[in-house]
Amino acid sequence: MRQLLMASVGVTLLGLGLAAHDAQGPAAAAQSTPATRTAPRATPAVRSAAVRTAPVAPAMVAAEQTRIITTYCATCHSERGKAGGLSLASFDAMKAHEQPEVIEKMIRKLRAGMMPPPGARKPDEAAIEALTGALETRMDELAASNPNPGWRPFQRLTRAEYEAAVRDLLDLDIDVTPYLPADTQAHGFDNIAQAQAFSPTLLDGYLRAASQVSRMALGDKQASATSATYRVLQTESQMTYVEGTPFGSRGGIAVTHHFPADGDYIFKAMLQRTISGELFGNTGIATSGSNELLEISVNGDRVAVLEVLASMSDAGEKGFVIDTPAIHLKAGPQRVSAAFVPRFVGPVDDLMMPIDHTLVDMRIGTGFGITSMPHLQDLVIAGPMKVTGISETPSRKRVFACRPTAANEEVPCATDTVRRLATQAFRGPVSTADLADLMKFYDQGRTGGDFEGGIRMAVQGILAHPRFLFRVEGVPATPTTAAFRVGDIELASRLSFFIWGTVPDAELIKVATSGTLKTTAVLEKQVARMLADPKSDALATRFGSQWLRLQDIEKIRPDGILYPQWDQSLTDAMRRETELFFASLVREDRSVLDLLNADYTFVNERLARHYGVPNVTGTTFRRVSLPPTRRGVVTQGSILMMTSVADRTSPVQRGKWIMQVMLGSPPPPPPPNVPTLDATSGSQGGKVLSVRERMEQHRSNPACMSCHRVIDPLGLALENFDVTGQYRIKDNGVPVDSTGELYDGTKMEGADGLRQALLRHKASLLTSFTESLMTYALGRHVEAFDMPTVRAINRDAGKQNYRVSTFVQGIVKSQAFRMSRPAPTTSTDADARQ
Amino acid sequence: MLITKRHLSRRTVLKGIGVTAALPLLEAMLPASSAAAQSAAKGKVRLAAIEMVHGAAGSTAFGAKMNMWSPAATGKAFDLTPSALSPLDSVRQHITIVSNTDLRMAEAFTTPEIGGDHFRASAVFLTQAHPKQTMGSDVRAGISLDQLYAGRYGQDTPIPSMQLCIEPVDQAGGCEYGYSCVYTDSISWSKADAPMPMIRDPRTVFDQLFGVGATKEERAQRRKEDRSILDTLMGSVDRLKAQIGSVDKARLDDYLSDIREIERRIQKVESVNSSGEQRELPGAPVGVPDSYEEHVKLMFDLQALAFGSDITRVFSFKMSRDVSGRVFPSTGVTTGFHNASHHNSREDRIRDFAKINRYHVSLLPYFIERLKRMPEGDGTVLDNTLIVYGSPMGDPNVHNHRRVPLLFAGHAGGTLKGGLHIKAADGTPMANTFLDALHKIGMDDVPSFGDSAGSLDLNAVQDTTAAAQ
Repeated sequence: MRQLLMASVGVTLLGLGLAAHDAQGPAAAAQSTPATRTAPRATPAVRSAAVRTAPVAPAMVAAEQTRIITTYCATCHSERGKAGGLSLASFDAMKAHEQPEVIEKMIRKLRAGMMPPPGARKPDEAAIEALTGALETRMDELAASNPNPGWRPFQRLTRAEYEAAVRDLLDLDIDVTPYLPADTQAHGFDNIAQAQAFSPTLLDGYLRAASQVSRMALGDKQASATSATYRVLQTESQMTYVEGTPFGSRGGIAVTHHFPADGDYIFKAMLQRTISGELFGNTGIATSGSNELLEISVNGDRVAVLEVLASMSDAGEKGFVIDTPAIHLKAGPQRVSAAFVPRFVGPVDDLMMPIDHTLVDMRIGTGFGITSMPHLQDLVIAGPMKVTGISETPSRKRVFACRPTAANEEVPCATDTVRRLATQAFRGPVSTADLADLMKFYDQGRTGGDFEGGIRMAVQGILAHPRFLFRVEGVPATPTTAAFRVGDIELASRLSFFIWGTVPDAELIKVATSGTLKTTAVLEKQVARMLADPKSDALATRFGSQWLRLQDIEKIRPDGILYPQWDQSLTDAMRRETELFFASLVREDRSVLDLLNADYTFVNERLARHYGVPNVTGTTFRRVSLPPTRRGVVTQGSILMMTSVADRTSPVQRGKWIMQVMLGSPPPPPPPNVPTLDATSGSQGGKVLSVRERMEQHRSNPACMSCHRVIDPLGLALENFDVTGQYRIKDNGVPVDSTGELYDGTKMEGADGLRQALLRHKASLLTSFTESLMTYALGRHVEAFDMPTVRAINRDAGKQNYRVSTFVQGIVKSQAFRMSRPAPTTSTDADARQ
Repeated sequence: MLITKRHLSRRTVLKGIGVTAALPLLEAMLPASSAAAQSAAKGKVRLAAIEMVHGAAGSTAFGAKMNMWSPAATGKAFDLTPSALSPLDSVRQHITIVSNTDLRMAEAFTTPEIGGDHFRASAVFLTQAHPKQTMGSDVRAGISLDQLYAGRYGQDTPIPSMQLCIEPVDQAGGCEYGYSCVYTDSISWSKADAPMPMIRDPRTVFDQLFGVGATKEERAQRRKEDRSILDTLMGSVDRLKAQIGSVDKARLDDYLSDIREIERRIQKVESVNSSGEQRELPGAPVGVPDSYEEHVKLMFDLQALAFGSDITRVFSFKMSRDVSGRVFPSTGVTTGFHNASHHNSREDRIRDFAKINRYHVSLLPYFIERLKRMPEGDGTVLDNTLIVYGSPMGDPNVHNHRRVPLLFAGHAGGTLKGGLHIKAADGTPMANTFLDALHKIGMDDVPSFGDSAGSLDLNAVQDTTAAAQ
């Protein structure tokens, strides 16, 4: 198997000549018949690969390809009609090499089965298969004879990468959103080099982040009193236990707060008010007969208990604020929680009870008949007052490996410390000049303070240094127009940011420094090691979540009246579910097709209750088997909810998501001036309409029909899931109809029908996955000239049941990952950097 | 390269950063005479849009008769003595009172909307648009006055705009009557579906405007560190450039120019500081003050300083929150704000409510005087500022939105004369005044705003007798 795998990688690399340095097996050499530039038929070496996925027909000759395309495609894609902005009237398969972008677009639509469109005249399936195979073969040959590893400008650290790097360097969890501007998303990802622009604002953010983070890491004796406010979202339920607070408590919040120094701090809690200015939940206090207590604890130890009075109101002197006296606490990150101590535990026999979104209506807290309890609105931590020093913290342990005991030990100890930190931060050896710069910072800090002050200033310098912030890659010393191999140190960074989303560890740097990382065997071994490391969770939290567009879930908040079973903790749980699920694919090296097929998922109690999965208690997530109504990621709450709007499902958004993510073929944007679904009335002739009926009414416009007949059935198949992803059999009182026809004519019913239909086009799912993984790995758009590599990776993965690791290995070993071509010199390309 | 044609200008990137884009520098930008021109050069005018909730006693029939808000006379010779506006008498030449406008967009359009005025009105004040009734995330109102202006000119200053508030807000979840809390919590909308969060903690405002550090010395220390880092960075960037490709070199050159820009700003801070002419910053506040008045004044201080230093030219400021039950002790009224607003048309209770209105208005001269004390060009910062103060409700007892309280202050770069009381014709939309305001501050190409039906000239001197009827 190893032999075969390497053989086909060899085919893509060999044309470059350079790859021959690598330890390629003899099989690769044997197969490396140079492709004939004008050959209309596939050469044996490449065809063998194509034929494996297309066992139906022998290679189709160019004339036949041309005939099929002009016969079946050029009617719409004519000079006059130009459907989709494309004319195929004068298509000539012999000239395919002149327009690789068009050919790749055709392959994409053919593979997805989206062309020819439903209802149009089409050749038989075998002919389409043969045509697609032949086009692919042609493109693969072209790439083999004219290899192009692509190019991108240097990348800078994204917010997430900055945070992860600081965690690795300084053992410090930070949130950089107050400092660094949001990363621009391009092609679905936040790390695309071309989209990463520079501005004084960004530089200013870097400076402030360096200044603040170095102080947080090492403590700040000069810290002035300030206050940090932690807000409890109004959409969080507070009638039950909140993770991180003491067991047995109710509601509240738990946070990890960085105390800059040992000193006195004050905690202020603000409680939720009703809309008319009384304490929310004062009825609960009246029922129990005793005031509610709010316990403040630090690392699980109670430091204060505050009494919540039922009589609190807007008109009171302090309103809804209760505060502690000054409390002496130590520097560093400490887990702080504020949670209510229940004063009575027992069944409440109300006719109505708040469900999960307990603050959905702010008046119920004062109405008798619905027993509600006080809710925390925010927790303020103010201080330090009376700084007494700085205690040991994880960050300080990480930074201070040596402690000078005499004046003459200071500089050697500082040099060691700074070099060690900089080597990791700069992801490779530190030059003498760079080290000298950093020691200047040390001197500056030492002069104005002490040894620690010097180190802190040096850390600040490291964090603001371009070698930390920018992933600059060198070019060969002698100018060249040929592609060249990326240096080992730089390859280590590419690997680490790809698989771990952070800086390389010591071992990776060691291997890179020894100069062996470039060999395929060592590279494979490192990738395997990195995938086994828990840090590879970044493939789920960084790659997977962006590919699946999980961030969109924060944009939807279901209507509280229609969906009172929703609250923010449900959204959080759904997001975590999908991340854990994706991580399980990576960790267990499962098939990518499990994205559609998996019969398991991960739930905590909150989510299990929502899905109707029994016997799950507590906040910890665990793996459970799914009922037959749910399979794979498409039926997970996160995807279903983020493709809904507040008060109804959106089959269009669901269909669009499936086309974009699962099929890699997003629909074109709607034409301007189209009325939205909301503009169609929710009822007709006194009858309430289901979402499906409203859509059909909306879709009767023929201009909309051509796209929506493709998009809508995909989403309508998921109509058994409501806005919050809960299973349903009725919508607006009308029985759910989840039947439909896929654009290729396949009949579908429900989520399982959709799954089977999508599996018929699994090549599209695989292409979407590989293409996206490659976009993320390279930090650039994947071009037409990359598609042969994508196909080669998919073919190889097919031999190993589409295991996730085969895709990662395939990308890492591709020339696009290991090599670069020199920067383009044309003005268009140069303009793009701005 | 498929994205080669995508030209990502710096401006594009700066957009959307919003208030997180603070610069640390700041005393520098507190020169005695700032760069802002004194003419009404486009986009140079500072805009502060201030909202007070719950309407005014003067909007009731009794209150109108007693001139509890709008004075009896129009034109210049108005008498503020009986009015809640009386605290403004000392700055009367700088204010323009516009009475008798309506905010119909805050009214209920459909049956389920009836009664939800408190939970809808704030979103209408600056947008002049009718909010969509929803408790979910599909919120919708309109672009607000301040954001329309910041969207056009905000890029000229380090921070395009800032949004401040006094009462705690949440921004998530539903409030009542089927309205999402964002409608109650925010008055600034950057897009019709994008309410902006309001900042309540003065320290957060301070850090964003002036950089981190509680004292002048601390801030100076941080500047020194930054400067030394920038100095050194120049060398390391040059060394990096030695070994990389041409496009990457050009990218680093961009970065070098950013370094020089930040250095320039720091140098300017230092030189202004050493010249001894800089204005004093207040000590950095620790958090939210306990006292309402202290909190409001601190927020005014910060706005004045930001205007004077040209860090941002646009503020919106929400001075209260609907259905607040806060008691304002210095008014002598012991009833909470919301309860007091439901005066049941009793004359004594209307008089009490007017005391609360007067108290709120009495905080304004503090801000106006501060701006007036800041020289700029041949005039003062006040000359180049437009303040809007008003409420999206009229008579709070019946939740109506007619004859709402509204006044302007400052001279908007010389385009607003001030010292006037204008009584609008019956049924004039409040949006008409905002349209004229937009025209005066450099957006003369805006054809309409909200439900405007033409623009109302804020310099119109009316015949006194006409209004006395």
